[in-house]
Amino acid sequence: MKVGRRKFLRAGSAALVGLSLKTDRPIVGSFVNDSFQMGHLLRDRASFPAPKRLEKFPVVIVGGGIAGLSAAWRLRKRGFTNFVLLEMNPQAGGNARWGENEVTAYPWAAHYVPVPGPKAEYVRELFEDLGVLKNGQWEERNLCFAPQERLFLYGRWQDGLEPAIGLTQKDRDQFQHLEDLFAKFRASGAFTIPLELGRSSKFQDLDRLSFSDWLQQQGCDSRLVNWYMNYACRDDYGALAKDTSAWAGVHYFSSREAEEKGPLTWPEGNGWITRRLLEQVGENVRTNQMVHRISETKRGVRVFAGDTEFQSEFAIFAAPTFLAPYLVDGFPRLHDFIYSPWLTANLTLERLPDSRGAEPTWDTVFLDSPTLGYVDATHQSLRTHIERTVWTFYWALADGTPAQNRQRLLEKDWNYWKEAILHDLERAHSDIRQCVSRIDVMRMGHAMIRPAVGSVFSEERRRLTRRDGRLLFANSDLSSISIFEEAQYHGVLTAKTALDRLHGHL
Amino acid sequence: MGILLFISVLLVAACGLIYELVAGTLASYLVGDSVFQFSTIIGTYLFAMGIGSALSRYLNRGLVYRFVWIELLLGVIGGFSSALLMLAFAFTQGFELILYALVIVMGVLVGLEIPLLMRIVRDRYEFRDVIAHVLTFDYLGALGASLLFPILLVPRLGLVRSAMLFGLVNAGVALWTTYLFSSQLSGSRTLRVACVVVLCALGIGMADARRITATAEDNIYADDIIFARDTRYQHLVLTRFKDDLRLFLNSHLQFSSRDEYRYHEALIHPGLATVPVPHRVLVLGGGDGLAVREILKYPQIESITLVDLDPEMTKLFSTHPMLTKLNDKSFLSPRVHIINADAFPWVDSNNDSFDFIVIDFPDPTNYSLGKLYTTAFYRAAARHLSAQGLMVVQSTSPMFARDSFWCIAQTLKQAGLQTYPYHVYVPSFGEWGFVLGSTHEYIPPTSLPSGLRFINVEGLPALFQFPPDMAPLPMPSNQLNSQVLVRMYENDWKDISH
Repeated sequence: MKVGRRKFLRAGSAALVGLSLKTDRPIVGSFVNDSFQMGHLLRDRASFPAPKRLEKFPVVIVGGGIAGLSAAWRLRKRGFTNFVLLEMNPQAGGNARWGENEVTAYPWAAHYVPVPGPKAEYVRELFEDLGVLKNGQWEERNLCFAPQERLFLYGRWQDGLEPAIGLTQKDRDQFQHLEDLFAKFRASGAFTIPLELGRSSKFQDLDRLSFSDWLQQQGCDSRLVNWYMNYACRDDYGALAKDTSAWAGVHYFSSREAEEKGPLTWPEGNGWITRRLLEQVGENVRTNQMVHRISETKRGVRVFAGDTEFQSEFAIFAAPTFLAPYLVDGFPRLHDFIYSPWLTANLTLERLPDSRGAEPTWDTVFLDSPTLGYVDATHQSLRTHIERTVWTFYWALADGTPAQNRQRLLEKDWNYWKEAILHDLERAHSDIRQCVSRIDVMRMGHAMIRPAVGSVFSEERRRLTRRDGRLLFANSDLSSISIFEEAQYHGVLTAKTALDRLHGHL
Repeated sequence: MGILLFISVLLVAACGLIYELVAGTLASYLVGDSVFQFSTIIGTYLFAMGIGSALSRYLNRGLVYRFVWIELLLGVIGGFSSALLMLAFAFTQGFELILYALVIVMGVLVGLEIPLLMRIVRDRYEFRDVIAHVLTFDYLGALGASLLFPILLVPRLGLVRSAMLFGLVNAGVALWTTYLFSSQLSGSRTLRVACVVVLCALGIGMADARRITATAEDNIYADDIIFARDTRYQHLVLTRFKDDLRLFLNSHLQFSSRDEYRYHEALIHPGLATVPVPHRVLVLGGGDGLAVREILKYPQIESITLVDLDPEMTKLFSTHPMLTKLNDKSFLSPRVHIINADAFPWVDSNNDSFDFIVIDFPDPTNYSLGKLYTTAFYRAAARHLSAQGLMVVQSTSPMFARDSFWCIAQTLKQAGLQTYPYHVYVPSFGEWGFVLGSTHEYIPPTSLPSGLRFINVEGLPALFQFPPDMAPLPMPSNQLNSQVLVRMYENDWKDISH
């Protein structure tokens, strides 16, 4: 039998297919929940339609994040239902939005609430309403399951996020020194949540220098100490220690009792709270309502959204405060509101990757990575056998100025971020590319307020929290830190003020 | 004549390669580290062939006669090499020594073959043709052998018989050679008799190979592995030694058929026999059907719901004759309903109530299993208890994992149940413990189903007594957010094994 040359070549190449490299799984995905287009319309003062309809409500809430939803919760709890909440996006929740696919529900941003201390009374009240706190006991299923956190360093894992292995005596001494300092600050009672309840001019000096300068003053030059302090600032403020007020840096470590049992978390993160709040206030919520103008008068507030004018006696501005100069007639330019840009991504995994023998944890962080690692959405599952999962990957773009990083968010395509994320995960999970089937990326140019130097004791902030006009400001950025408790606190307070003054007038 | 001669070159080459492959494969199977085994065996074998080739120059007369003897020797040594190595591994300490001695002897003999053959035929052909033909067929034989070995020989014949088959080929070539070169041979009759003797020996070996293998394997593995499978959820191995069946899940012993009755009678009867009129029973875990076998001894029971994660496990225990004999075909009873689901979500989503709940999960060796030993889980399970109901929890060993045992008891207490811990001795496990959880006071039963082999009414109160070395310890309860039990369990067993 003669084998033709062509036939031989074909057989040969077929044999070679078997020799080709193990291929990676094809990964799909896209940018999701982009909102900068709408923001840019406002920024560029685009012309909006003249109102065709008029609706009247005693109270209008602008913004359906935690601050707005909490204001709504408070109003309804007091039996007041004649109000409307206007949300720009198709989905309410703001930084407590969530997503869901066939594997699990997952968070898009905020994903936990520390077990609230005694001062956070509104948070405790909410959690009692939601069945998370019963007879003084926290519901076990809502507390983060063990094992909670792990840090990948020197090619291995450790429990907890503060570096604990490979430390020199100097590292240890400096960690200890800081811990002692933070304990003293904690004992002073000036670093509380809500922040407003404890803030004291006694420590105002701390707001005049950066956290990194303060650390230097304390003699902290250890590389590991500085990594950990920077990690904390990136995690809660989206900023490096050099761009963070020392007061806020101290607050991060001194505002909560160190306790074992927290935090409270759910598969969809704080989206769970959004969901539960929407069950209670959903009928007052209108989504896809882009407010484009607000006009405060002596007798009330006119809010323009789409082709409708809402006339109210009081309006609660729960949207990010930086939007106010673009929306509110005659509103001055803001100087003390700087926002950190973030990127989050949800990765669908068809199987768990190699993790060098470690059991999965809730939160995973990599030493010396520019990112904040990832959180596993199925960690709070009650199942014993988990094959597929979703990881929420967090990345505060802290290196460089916010403007530069916003530019970067806009310019780079999805493929760039996909590669960057996988590259980061490959530090600890060498076969991650064979596990991931989908990566959805959410870009947030103004993800959270940054407590820059001078922010905490800013006069501008003080003015906006006076709640003496008819337009009441409620966003957590009034506290200069972007956490659930602050958003809820301002939301509830504005609702309270609105009700008090409405009833006073009635 | 030419082609016949070269076919014997081909066969001889195939035999040489087969012996080498047999040695490498066996060493990999038995000792492990296949890269190391194959490398060193191939190296040693080739080196020994070199020695053989070097020695060939000292053979000057009677080349054909000597070639026939070499073939016979190789037939015997190579043919029995595999059996010899298995027995050596099973019964001696010197497996490696014997392995490399055999490899060297076979290598030297194989190394002699080709030089001798070339010299035998050199007068019939031009030198360059001798080289070309002999080497061509030599390499062809090697190719054939290397393909036959993994595709046909090992799967169809096994290692012992494959080696013997090629021993027969060597001896056959020897016999054939005596005819091919009869003109150059004196005393060919003696040679032929020797050939026939070797052929017979190998033939008998082929027929009896199974017994040789069995003898060796019995000694290599303590127990026969009669079933091993990686299911989606676990690694499942069933072994048998004489009348003792043992099940291992992820290499943890689940039961031994010799004493499992102690475990399962103790798991079920102290609790179930106190329920006045039990109608409905829930079993969580227990995919071997042995707990269900005990439960079926109560004729009043109308329905038994068994929730086990692994469908392959429940299927195996519904169909495998040895196993259905052990569980009395309990899964085939019309009263039994098998649900393959993850227990915690199932317990959460179901709303039925039960008069007796059996919680029989693997020990809390990791955080996933640890979720099934938490206050959250016991609260969810207790929600299903009827007014007269109670539950029993397999709670690991109060002797070897004393902290863990009392932690589980404390966890049930924390979940709002009155607890009644007890323990039994199961030879294959050692001291083993259970905790009864109830919403009302528990009093041990005064009557039991007939036909029990271990539990009796008189002996019951003693099970609830704990001697000082297993006595209660104050322990924290186990919660989803702490999972103290998993670490505790790991430490408990570490203390035992080190």
